[in-house]
Amino acid sequence: MSERTHNRVMLALAILLAGIYLFPLYWMYITALKSGSEMFATPPSFWPAAPRWNTFAEVWQSRQMGRFLWNSLVIAIGATTLIAVLGVGCAYVLARYRNVWVDIGLFLVLMLQVLPASLMVTPIFVGFSQLGVLDYPRLAVVVAIAAKSMPFFVILVRATFMAVPQELEEAALVDGNSRIGAFVNIVLPLARNGILVSAILIFMQAFGEFVYSKSMIQGIELQPASVGLNSFMGPNTNEWNNIMAFATIYVTPILAVFVLLQRRIVSGLTSGALK
Amino acid sequence: MIAQIELTGVNKHYGNYHALKDIDLSIEKGSFTALVGPSGCGKSTLLRSLAGLESISTGTLKIAGDVMNKVPPRKRDVAMVFQSYALYPHMTVEENLTYSLRVRGMPKTEARKAAAEVARTTGLSHLLDRYPRELSGGQRQRVAMSRAIIRHPKAFLFDEPLSNLDAALRVHMRKEIRALHDRLGATSVYVTHDQIEAMTMADRVVVMRAGIIEQQGRPLDLYDKPANKFVAGFIGSPAMNFIPAQGGQDGRSVVLDLGQPQSVDVGYPVQPGRELTVGLRPEHITLAPPDKAMLKVPVAVVESTGAATYLTTATTPELAVVINGRGGTAAGETVGLDFEPAQLHLFDVKTERRI
Ligand SMILES: Nc1ncnc2c1ncn2[C@@H]1O[C@H](COP(=O)(O)OP(=O)(O)OP(=O)(O)O)[C@@H](O)[C@H]1O
Ligand SMILES: [Mg+2]
Repeated sequence: MSERTHNRVMLALAILLAGIYLFPLYWMYITALKSGSEMFATPPSFWPAAPRWNTFAEVWQSRQMGRFLWNSLVIAIGATTLIAVLGVGCAYVLARYRNVWVDIGLFLVLMLQVLPASLMVTPIFVGFSQLGVLDYPRLAVVVAIAAKSMPFFVILVRATFMAVPQELEEAALVDGNSRIGAFVNIVLPLARNGILVSAILIFMQAFGEFVYSKSMIQGIELQPASVGLNSFMGPNTNEWNNIMAFATIYVTPILAVFVLLQRRIVSGLTSGALK
Repeated sequence: MIAQIELTGVNKHYGNYHALKDIDLSIEKGSFTALVGPSGCGKSTLLRSLAGLESISTGTLKIAGDVMNKVPPRKRDVAMVFQSYALYPHMTVEENLTYSLRVRGMPKTEARKAAAEVARTTGLSHLLDRYPRELSGGQRQRVAMSRAIIRHPKAFLFDEPLSNLDAALRVHMRKEIRALHDRLGATSVYVTHDQIEAMTMADRVVVMRAGIIEQQGRPLDLYDKPANKFVAGFIGSPAMNFIPAQGGQDGRSVVLDLGQPQSVDVGYPVQPGRELTVGLRPEHITLAPPDKAMLKVPVAVVESTGAATYLTTATTPELAVVINGRGGTAAGETVGLDFEPAQLHLFDVKTERRI
């Protein structure tokens, strides 16, 4: 087989696979645009005959989506900030000091990553309710997400710090800076991309978080969009177009951010090429 | 003599590993000192201890008269050039140069003036706006040097600064660094594993092995009177020949063992029968007509660079011989070799010390 046909076959395969992966997304978008009767037509139509854009405005109004999204945003920003502030220092220490205790620490950090949220939620719930943190349910969720996602962040950012040669820091020390000064002036700027990308990934995770929010936030006025979407769906649901409109409004901003930043994200994850 | 850097009884342990053993070293103000030794002997460790990047386990370390054992790097007022150059990749050349000044709170305009001045003397003026990744290896090296000289530190510390350059540039930079040192009247400590660099650049050479200072002194003193077999073999290129030998029965000669015994009158007393290692530098051997020469040996290999010819003899042990010019011999021939008995270095077999 010549190089050229080979490439074409591979391309066709890639397009096919991408199509399979993206089909649910496509279905979400077109279902949101369909009218009530078209939704249940057999065979299903792959393109809405008369797109109904009104659905979005109606859903936004009737489900009070502004409030849900605001709550999602508060939780995501809170969790990302907490993780970034605590995680950067932690990752730096784990990157620079090598001994048995650090290895044990790293192992424990990885262990935490293995535990699923649905397993952790009960002990966290009990603990938080004893401490009274549940009186501030969004804060409780922020702390729980931070605890859950911190290992992921620390491990990504640690790799970024390890890519910054230690000699640069030493040069800064000899040049007259303090350890903290060298960290802020030299290490942080060089690790910035990696930290930023890791923070964005954490943000996207937290924006879609469901398990903790569902179990810890009782009041609907404090619930994030993931819980709102879930409570939209009942056993007898038939407003699929409205649900899909909700989902569209929820995920499109995240998708947009991801597409806009995807080049940076990919290069950030493979960074380290300083020279 | 004013000691700019003074180490007394310095030891450094990395966990169980004893990296520096009882180092006593005094470095004169304004001198250029080279630390040489094979890989892993502790040169970098010693240099980093001077900079404060490693803390010493015991002993005292003084810079300009002040005890520095616990002083952090930024308060030691030394400048260091790293082997990898360690230029800050996110800063331009100018920002790299002025970094140490800005950290110390010098106003930006003043710092820029200083950078322009240094850049002029090191030929970097046209590169000030570039980033390190946009420079060639040689240019990066210059930036690293310039970054060190922009402030006037108490000492310059160099850790193999030339090892990433090609041979021609290395020879050139050797002279340039030495000239810079003289012009600034600085005190420099220069780590290298290349003994030629050490010999050509330094006022004083310190030879290290396995965390110990084997010998220190002026370059030619080390060449003429190596204190032990290790220094003798390390200084000089190609390396010194070592020949097993014994003290002769007459008490003033040595019997070399090059396959068959060969007695050489050295002109000073040698204990009869004493086991020795005799050192003889390749450049101290000359060709002579075989019938009149001290040694008559077959030649195994002849290599010529045009200016010099390197012979290897087919004896046990092999002897390396350097002669000027072409030599006019070929492998397989038998040649006569001569040398001055005074050029022999005698070492005790067990202690390897000079006799
Ligand atoms: N951080 C460290 N932890 C443990 N051992 C170390 C550490 N740094 C250096 N060593 C050991 O100390 C010894 C001396 O190392 P050093 O870097 O000073 O060698 P060097 O003389 O500079 O060698 P080279 O010419 O290869 O640079 C080596 O055996 C090395 O393994
Ligand atoms: Mg070294």
